[in-house]
Amino acid sequence: MKSEALAENPINALKSDGIAPLKIIIPSIGVEAEVQHLGITDNGEMAVPSTIDEVSWFEPGYKPGANGRAVIAGHVDGIDSPAVFWDLSKLTAGDEIIVEGEDSQLLFKVYAMESVKLELADVESVFGYRSSPELVLITCSGAYDYGRGTREERLIVYAELIEQ
Amino acid sequence: MKKIFVSLSVAFVLVFSVLAAGVLADSHTAKLRVLHASPDAPAVDVYVNGDLTLEDVPFKADSGYLDVPGGTHNVEVFAAGTEYAEGAAVLQADLTVEAGKAYTVAAANLLESLEFVVAEDSMEVTEGKTKIRVGHLSPDAPAVDVGVIGGDAVFSGAEFPGITDYAELDAGTYDLEIRLPDGTQVLPLEGTELAADTVYSIFAVNTADSLEVIALVDYEAAASPDGMPTTGLGTPEQNQINWLLVMAALGATVAGGGVLLRKRFQH
Repeated sequence: MKSEALAENPINALKSDGIAPLKIIIPSIGVEAEVQHLGITDNGEMAVPSTIDEVSWFEPGYKPGANGRAVIAGHVDGIDSPAVFWDLSKLTAGDEIIVEGEDSQLLFKVYAMESVKLELADVESVFGYRSSPELVLITCSGAYDYGRGTREERLIVYAELIEQ
Repeated sequence: MKKIFVSLSVAFVLVFSVLAAGVLADSHTAKLRVLHASPDAPAVDVYVNGDLTLEDVPFKADSGYLDVPGGTHNVEVFAAGTEYAEGAAVLQADLTVEAGKAYTVAAANLLESLEFVVAEDSMEVTEGKTKIRVGHLSPDAPAVDVGVIGGDAVFSGAEFPGITDYAELDAGTYDLEIRLPDGTQVLPLEGTELAADTVYSIFAVNTADSLEVIALVDYEAAASPDGMPTTGLGTPEQNQINWLLVMAALGATVAGGGVLLRKRFQH
């Protein structure tokens, strides 16, 4: 209808703003954690919290709820104990992830998981644009590599926004 | 607003058929979105390589970007609900897509002359700038310009069935209009906010007497780190759960034929 097109500028209707995440809740594995807003480390990696009970959102990337992949990372273990994402590998397709902002919350559902060797990880894709809002969770997996001082693989969980 | 559902089962089966590292990586797949731009055609089902991929897509709806492997794919369009039969599609094409690139495939023109209009979509924009292009998909509308009201044309002489190259502009608010080359306004688009780091496609659809606009975002830029996070501080002895089992379970779920992974889309 011409009148509809006139009433609302369809280009302006495209905005997907997203939220600044404060808390993440994953009921199926009992995770409830504060979300730090971090960027890039001196060596170019996504920065992570120095604590094992909090997670970090990659702030220079996409916001949760906006189109694109918003990325949240958390440790799998501390020096001698499990950390916030210890049980991340137990997630399965359909599990819910809740991201809370100041006065709103978003519901995501897991649709895929993969664990990739660090050197094979397609960083651009993991942090990349999508035409719908997605959430990506990352933690370490695989055997510990003493040479590199980190585990050999990264567990990557892909979730999509469920409209409410 | 009517909501419709899209089956993504095909794309996911293809993705999960290779249980190797990096299966979800962009380096293996192209992005493809389908747009129904035929004003008198019914809702359609879209088959890719013989598999139902998009279901009941109405006029003016788009699929969002689907991940498909690079290569040539047999894309067939049927009236929604029609039983699939090889060679019986109302529209068929072998579309070749390159991994790492994005494409729009529009089913355009009136039903009796239905045709695909295919364009490669941009996935880059200069930092702080905005990018826009125009698709003329109104079968009986004359050639048009798109420009600033009372000012210069940004696109001149856009004709059916065509999609222009992109123009890169300063981000900001523009009073745009679709107009005839003689200056007669066809459709106003006042107060159009073109955001920084964003790429737009604006499609003029429907017949000339009901001309309207479908706006889609092709890409939004954001920063990416060079490396994955280091998310383990210690070296516990115990192995984590063998997550490969998780992958296997996911793969089995998909292969089991249940369409568990559905995507809802707006139009």
